[in-house]
Order: sequence, then structure tokens, then C-alpha cells
Amino acid sequence: MSTRILTVEDDERIRTAVKMALEDEGWVVEEAETGEQALEAFQRHPSDVVLIDIMLPGVDGFEVCRSVRRTSDVPIVMVTARADTHDVVAGLEAGADDYLTKPFAPKELSARIRALMRRARKPDPATTTMRFGDLEIIPDAGVVRRGGTELHLTKTEFRLLCELASSPGRVFSREVLLERVWGYGYFGDGRLVDVHVRRLRTKIEADPANPRHVLTVRGLGYKLQG
Amino acid sequence: MRRLFARLRPRSLGLRARITIAFALGALLLSAILASTTFALTRANTLNQRESAALSRVYVNASTVKIRIGSTSATDIQDTLLPSLQLPNGARPVLHAQGKWFSLTAQIGENSIPPSLRALVDSGHPGRMTFTLQNKPALAVGIPLPSANAEYFELVDLSDLQSTLDSLGFSLLGAAVITTAAGGVLGWWASRRTLRPLADVSQAAEAIAGGRLDTRLEATLDPDLGVLASSFNDMAAALQERIERDARFASDVSHELRSPLMTLAAAVDVLETRRDELGERSQAALDLLAGEVVRFRQLVEDLLEMSRYDAGAVRLELDDIRLAEFVMQAVSVSSNGDSVPVELDSELAGVVVQADKRRLARVVANLLDNARKYGDGPVTVALQRVEDGVQIVVEDEGPGIPEEERDVVFERFARGGVAGRRGSGEGVGLGLALVAEHVRLHGGRVWVEDRADGHPGARFVVELPVLRS
Repeated sequence: MSTRILTVEDDERIRTAVKMALEDEGWVVEEAETGEQALEAFQRHPSDVVLIDIMLPGVDGFEVCRSVRRTSDVPIVMVTARADTHDVVAGLEAGADDYLTKPFAPKELSARIRALMRRARKPDPATTTMRFGDLEIIPDAGVVRRGGTELHLTKTEFRLLCELASSPGRVFSREVLLERVWGYGYFGDGRLVDVHVRRLRTKIEADPANPRHVLTVRGLGYKLQG
Repeated sequence: MRRLFARLRPRSLGLRARITIAFALGALLLSAILASTTFALTRANTLNQRESAALSRVYVNASTVKIRIGSTSATDIQDTLLPSLQLPNGARPVLHAQGKWFSLTAQIGENSIPPSLRALVDSGHPGRMTFTLQNKPALAVGIPLPSANAEYFELVDLSDLQSTLDSLGFSLLGAAVITTAAGGVLGWWASRRTLRPLADVSQAAEAIAGGRLDTRLEATLDPDLGVLASSFNDMAAALQERIERDARFASDVSHELRSPLMTLAAAVDVLETRRDELGERSQAALDLLAGEVVRFRQLVEDLLEMSRYDAGAVRLELDDIRLAEFVMQAVSVSSNGDSVPVELDSELAGVVVQADKRRLARVVANLLDNARKYGDGPVTVALQRVEDGVQIVVEDEGPGIPEEERDVVFERFARGGVAGRRGSGEGVGLGLALVAEHVRLHGGRVWVEDRADGHPGARFVVELPVLRS
């Protein structure tokens, strides 16, 4: 079955052109003009990727993002007007996995989508379960448990965790994580990593303010500790 | 007339100096009038008093002489009569009686008396006059004594009066000088007070010129200055509104352009996927279209960034960046295959700067872009440690940039005369202007100079402060 993409965009011409470009990639594209339509469409038939323009009339993009996140770990790409505003961080905190600024080339969009749909890298084919204190990761099944309770991570959060878990104790720079998790080069936006680490901590740490597993190494990056 | 004044007025003198001089001259004039009036009145008054005192005494002496002269011998006149007269210091009697002249001292005699007074008294009239006796001011009084067939004269030395008047004049001159100086000081102070609002206005104008458009003059209760302040503030407000409207317009236009651009970019993408289905001419047209869409996107992005700078809305996303690694990455990303060597010393590997990664990458990309468009391609990119910072140097082998254009190239939509002559038709647009803005916001400097090795070509230098090395 081919990948289904839901695009939420109020400008009809953009919607049509982007739909055509994405269909050329072999994907099925479903359109929504408003946030309400998008949520309704998603509930009726969850897609594999959601593309959301933050600037929507009525229910805005952040709200659509949060609503989708409540029920699904589907990759979300949001479209913002500017890269240097708080919009980006707010969108990522609302649950988006990545962002693009308008106007973007459709090739960039498809590259983003492909990167987000990659499966988590297996740290070691032989390993089926990894344990870090009370944390238990099963890469093949995409499952994380803390103290036996299963946690709901998004695909990107899970990939980030697996990446850190592939070399426990090693410091990963933001550039390395950007490349391995998001497929960006050296010039990716470090805030993607920072916000995702923050989101990850709220899920896997007993006390996110004093993390015991995902630690910040000032000026260098992040590492996972057992 | 006005022109004459204008010519007479020394151009080098400022308003303040002119006010001071006017005050001083005014004070001088006033004190001169006062002093000379005072002097003249005092002089006349004192002289009058002395004269009337002398006159009454001379009459007393004359009547003494008149009474006693009849029975007195010439010797007695000389030895008794004259010394018995009432004579204060400086009064000298001269008596003409019995056909002889008598006086108390040899220096003062008939020849000391002014001839005109003698003639007057000879004709039987009493008289008086002031004159100069032995270089000193003196009063001469003469009284005919017809019954005794004599004439009595008295010469009164007025030099003490003169010295009094001299010291008065001296004091008045001193007072005039002090008054003039005080007038000057007052003028200096008053002009400073008066000009202070002007200084405020000039400061405010400077602030506005420097980009702080919301600068205003404080409201004042002074009705004269209030007009100036309020019209200045109106002007500043109008200017600010206009500049902001222009900036908003540029920003709005760029924002509006993004949606059609988005559609264009996606549509061109769709066409490019079907490139093989198109004829040769259509393919060529599509290539043109695709190229222009890329350029257009860059331009809109640059315009938006520039309007953010104009609105003062740029916030840097600062990260600690290892500059050597960063520049190598930035050069390799933006040189699309045709590699440019990056020269750096090994000691630079650890240099860390605080920078906005995205914007600093644009700085490097724009400089390389500029070298490609106008300088026949970048020859080298180098990193250098300097005393209080680190330099990113991009050299090309184009014609270089003449001295007088070296500031202009960093202005918006500037095309160097050299670049223009080369007729490439591609303006640098906002590229170098953005480089300048980005570098400035990072606390650094950017400039262009001749290549260090003497070859023709431009050498762009970006200097950034170092966080640690």
C-alpha cells in the first residue's frame, strides 16, 4: 500500500501544485483546507505523514498538530513563515517532527518526508532488548518501557532514543544527531534536536527537570546513560 | 544693507560667540555712558563747590586788604599784610598796590596771572578763570579795589581736585571694564541657556539619523521652545511613520510573494519530472523558468531578511561554533562541486565563535557567490587569527574593487561600476548588504581590500570576535 500524505493548506493553488508534486513521488495525497477538515479527515482515515501550514484560518496549525499527536505518532511536517521565530519551537513543542519555511521546493519536502519515514536504526542486529536502569528498549518492535509500563514515543523520538542508545555514554553532537535522525547536513537547525530531547525527557525520565538517562554535555551535545 | 552686514559678520564666529560679543558690547556702551555722565557731573559739581568756597574767601581777603592797605608801607604789605590773610594750602595771593606787585613767593608773581584776567580787573571788573599754572590746573580770581587803588588776585591750586577727579575716572574706567566682562560672561551663560534646546534638537536629530527613529524632544512649557519641540517631534513622527510604512511595504510585498512562489516552485517541479515528455524548446523554456524560480526565491528570502533588519526584528540563534569546521562545511555546501581550497593554520582548529549558524553560513555563501559572479570565481578562502578575533578571507581574481566603491558594494542592490561594466546582468542584489548586516549583528566587521599577494582581485575580509580558542 502506498504512503498516504495529508496536506493542510488554505491556499488552493499551493495545495494543488504541492499535491501534484507529491503525487509524482508516488504518494497518495489527501487535501484539507482548514484545521477542522484536517482533523476530521485524519480521524476518518489516519495518513502516514501530515503536512500542516501553521497559518490557518480557524483552528490553527499548532492546535491541529496537538490534536493529531494526542492519538497518533505519525510524522508531522509543519510549514512556517519564518525560521527565526518562536513559531518553529512552538510547532516542535506542539508535536511536529520537522519544519519547512515557505517558499520551499517540493524536492525538499519529499526529502524531509522520506527521512521521517525511515525505520529506526538497529543498534546491533543481535540485540533485541536494551536496558538502561528502569528503561527498556526493543528496537525491532518499536517499544520502550519504563518500569514495565509501555511509553508512547513518536517515530522520531524513538529513532533519536535508539541513536543515543547505539553507543551508551558516547556524546553525540547535535550535527551528528541531525544527520542520523533527520537526514540533515551540517547546517540543520539544532533546535530540532533540543526540542526533541526535551520531549523525549518528559516521556522517559521520572523527573524531566533532572534527567538521569538523556544528559546534556554542555557545548558538545547529548548522551544516554544507563 | 543686510548683505553688507552679512559680509561684515565674521563667518568663523558661532552664534554663541556672537551673542557673547553683543552682550559685552552692550555692557560696554552702557557703562561708558554711565561713567562719562557720572564723571562730567561730578567734575562740574566739585569744581563749582571749590570755586564758590574760594570766591567767598577771596572776597574776605580782598576786603581785609582794602581796609588795611591805606596806612601800610610796602614792607609791611609784604611781611605782615599778605601773611595775615586767610590762605588755605595752595592759595597764593598776588597784590598790585602802590604801583608795585606783591606776592609771597618768588615763583608766583604778576606774570603768573592770566593776561586776560588782568585786563579784566584793570578795567575795574572782578573776574575768575581756570587755567594751567606750572602744568597744574588752577583757579585765578581777581578783584579790583578802586578805593585803595589796588587789585587783589588770588591763585588757587586745583591739582588736588584734579587727582580726585583722576582717581574717580580711573575707578569709573575699572567699573566699565568689569561691567563689560560681566556682560560677556552673562552673554556666554545666556547663550548657553538659549542654545541648550538647540543642542537637544541636534542630539535628537543625530539619534534619528543613527536609526533610533523613536527619539523625541521632551515637551516643554516654554511657549517659544514648545513650537520648536512640537514641530520637531511632528517631523520625527512623520519620518518614522514613513520609514516604517516603507519597511512594512517591503515586508508585506515579500510575504505576499511567497504564496505564488510556492505554487510556481511546485508547478516547475511537476514539469521537471515530465521533462522528457517536452519538446526541445519547451525544455529550454522550462530550464529558464526553473532557474528564475530559484533566483526569485533567493531574492524574496533576502528581501524578507532585510526587512526584518529594518524592523529591528532580527534575533540571532547563537550557538558555539568551531569556526574552522564550520567554514569548511559552508564552503563545500555552497561551492556545488567546483571546490575552493580553504587555508587555515592548525592552531585555528579549536577556535570557537558564537554565531547564528544559518546566518553565518549565508555570509560565507554570499561572499563565494559574489566572487563567482564578479570575481571570476573565488581563488581561496582562508581563516586567520588576528589579535582580537578571527578573520574569514575570500579572495577572487576578478578586476578588484576600486577604493571609492569599497563602501558602496555593501549597500543594497549596489552593483560596482566594475561589476556593471562586465555586463553579467546579475546584480549582487542584497547579498553583500546582508553580509554586512549579519556580520554587524555578530559584533564583527566586514570590508574589502586589494589582494595581499599583489595580484589583481578583491579580498573580502570578515572579522569576528572569538569566544575561546
